[in-house]
Amino acid sequence: MADQTLPIGGSIDVTLARPEARTALLEWLHGWVVTVDHKRLGILYIVYGIVFLLVGGVEALAIRLQLAWPDNHFLSPELYNEMFTMHGTTMVFLVGMTIVFGFANYLVPLMIGARDMAFPRLNAFSFWMTAFGGLLLYYSFIGGFGLYGMGAAPDVGWWAYAPLTAKAFSPGHATDYWALSLIVMGFGTLGTAINVIATTLSMRCKGMTLMRMPLFVWLMLVVSALTLVTITPLTAAQIMLTIDRYLGGHFFDTQAGGSAVVWMHFFWIFGHPEVYVLVLPAFGIASEVIPVFSRKAIFGYPAMVAASVGIAFVSLGVWAHHMFTVGMTSVGNTFFVLSTMLVGIPTGIKIFNWVATVWGGKIRFKTPMLFALAFVFQFLIAGLTGIMLSVAPWDWQLHNSYFVIAHFHYVLVGAIVFNIFAGIYYWYPKATGRMLSETLGKWHFWLFLIGFHITFDTMHYVGFLGMPRSIYTYEPDRGWNHLNLIISLGGLIQGIAVLIFAWNLIHSYLRGKRAGNDPWDAWTLEWSAPSPPPAYNFATDPEVHSRRPLWDLKHPEDPDWKYE
Amino acid sequence: MTETAQHKTEHGQGGTIQLPAPTHWPIILAFGCTMAAAGLVTSVWVSVFGGVLMVSGCVGWFRQVLPHEAHESVPVVDHAVTIATSRRLVERLQIGPEQRALLPVETYPVLSGIKGGIAGGIAMILPALLYGLIAQHSIWYPVNLLGGAGATSSSITTAEIATFHWSWLLIAIVIHSITCLLVGLLYGAMLPMLPRRPVLLGGVVAPLLWTGLLHSSMGIINPALDARIHWGWFVISQVTFGVVAGLVVAREGRIRTTGRLPFFARMGIEAPGLMESNPDAGPPLPRGKENHR
Repeated sequence: MADQTLPIGGSIDVTLARPEARTALLEWLHGWVVTVDHKRLGILYIVYGIVFLLVGGVEALAIRLQLAWPDNHFLSPELYNEMFTMHGTTMVFLVGMTIVFGFANYLVPLMIGARDMAFPRLNAFSFWMTAFGGLLLYYSFIGGFGLYGMGAAPDVGWWAYAPLTAKAFSPGHATDYWALSLIVMGFGTLGTAINVIATTLSMRCKGMTLMRMPLFVWLMLVVSALTLVTITPLTAAQIMLTIDRYLGGHFFDTQAGGSAVVWMHFFWIFGHPEVYVLVLPAFGIASEVIPVFSRKAIFGYPAMVAASVGIAFVSLGVWAHHMFTVGMTSVGNTFFVLSTMLVGIPTGIKIFNWVATVWGGKIRFKTPMLFALAFVFQFLIAGLTGIMLSVAPWDWQLHNSYFVIAHFHYVLVGAIVFNIFAGIYYWYPKATGRMLSETLGKWHFWLFLIGFHITFDTMHYVGFLGMPRSIYTYEPDRGWNHLNLIISLGGLIQGIAVLIFAWNLIHSYLRGKRAGNDPWDAWTLEWSAPSPPPAYNFATDPEVHSRRPLWDLKHPEDPDWKYE
Repeated sequence: MTETAQHKTEHGQGGTIQLPAPTHWPIILAFGCTMAAAGLVTSVWVSVFGGVLMVSGCVGWFRQVLPHEAHESVPVVDHAVTIATSRRLVERLQIGPEQRALLPVETYPVLSGIKGGIAGGIAMILPALLYGLIAQHSIWYPVNLLGGAGATSSSITTAEIATFHWSWLLIAIVIHSITCLLVGLLYGAMLPMLPRRPVLLGGVVAPLLWTGLLHSSMGIINPALDARIHWGWFVISQVTFGVVAGLVVAREGRIRTTGRLPFFARMGIEAPGLMESNPDAGPPLPRGKENHR
């Protein structure tokens, strides 16, 4: 009826606009589905990761609600097992890996002055393998037929130790969904790693020598090489597990001559370097953010590169520190104690260099810098508790306790997630052309920081008091009641902070301030492209003469290339 | 590798750039792979469906890139990109006449550290052997402690440690040589960073701190060895090493710290032909106080 009061022309416009809008939307969606552009694929990776960050966060909150009070039955024991399995798997494979490789996809070609990745179609294939692998994992919630009937998600922990994964103890398909989805995602990850290595080694612009590459690119090169080495044993182990479960194999069947410890070795040969696969890109983000907001060049660039390569090498020889309680020989224990402690040297160099970069700088406390600074302090603490756990006798006391959970969440959240947030606040203007709201950003930062410390600082203490990991509930006389409630409240605060972040992403995309091509007055090549960059990145091939090409252009009287 | 790798530049403003054409074959292949795997936990027909998609995806993909890659022409748009800073004023460290310098400005050549390590290593043998003679009436006692007796079980007797063993002697020589060389190199690197009294700080304070750290942890690491170490004599040996190594390093001339110096110059080797091979390396600065700036 209202339309009848409108002028005829207006009515015609409205009726015609609907199918056009629908067509435009479909074309827009189709453009994303068939894209081989590294920037679009990078954004797809990151959006996918953020969506699963929310999903994994909900799972974490469910776990914390269950543990907030003693003798609680908020979740059933079966669902609780599924929650912590899916939370771990999601956060490592669907959040950490996807966001890290999303950043690599988006930034590496831009930072080295290339037009795209070396293998654009492989790049698209890799993303979709990762995406479908994750969906297959979550389909188990609907289609997985496990011990408890339909709708059984994997419930064997993200480490899936044998012999729990054997058919006898994990009937049905829930564990198979876990193994198969990781195999599928693994091939996607390998494709991206190959692409990053090829792009970095063969597509740098004129003048971009290896020692002039931004540290983020160096870190991604190292991480990609590490990925090739570490994903392979995981995939092999998953295939062996599938053979055990479907073809009567006995690789991990302890009752038929197999070995459960072999699974542990396979898993941790992947699992520990995996921590570095996730944390090294976080280092790369910090190494880009901290200098720009300190208005100083990074301190000790060659040492940072050497330390990164050193960390990657050492990380391949430390896996069995996850297995001190298995009962290895004293020689084995000693080797893994010492090799684990050795990681402290290159990581210490990095922390020293970040602090030295900030020292004496004109610091700007924008949101990316706040997250990066918090990371430096938190990672220091994470490193120290890591050294504590590397001492075998100490580990014997605290293994499988909440102290270990606190330690690795200090790494995975305190270092990796904080830097992912730093990176998103830093490069969001480049990707969208809009600034994220600083007010919402600061709310996000402070709430997340407070929630993080309430949760994970307290978790160390409850671990000291002997609370084991993965337990469904506890009796009220253990002395853990109030501490667990505090930990859960901290988790809730972090959840609120992440919701603010998600709102900021959407709100700023629609109404954020225009960014311009270089809103942070930064120095690396991506800031010389428009925001968002066109499909071809650079209209003319860039040429660089130093590690800070934009500094050279902004300060022609005092360029870096004279001194490098 | 795609054509983008070659950075085609035949376009001008208002021209076009060739980029890989969008394609749906990668997503079809990925979906096919996932379905093929999912069939294992659902139905064989899902795997068959996945297999069909995989074959289609591969064929489609190959046709995209063979015999030539499919490209699309993207028009170049004139974007107004400004590369400028509002922060023109640059504050600098006051380090000398140059605007910039790598810190420390001067350092000792690598060879001086090696020399210091060798000299200190020889010097510290004397108090160690003296301790063996006075306390255990055998010069082999400290040698054997270093060479392996300390790592063995606590059941070994003092008399056994005080006798000569070829294997422990060889191990002790290797450990002692490598450690002295590495610590000497560390001295060469560290001394310029110590603002004043480098020999006192590097030669006395650092060995004392190191000994304190070792003393506090040895009881946990190796209680048997800890019980056999006389910490007073240990301190004397360490300080002897530190002072001698520090003096030898400090007597060597400093060279300027710059990454653009030839490797041989940084090593402290006087090889004029090699050092002049890099015209941008600045003046050749071998050694000696005459080169201080």
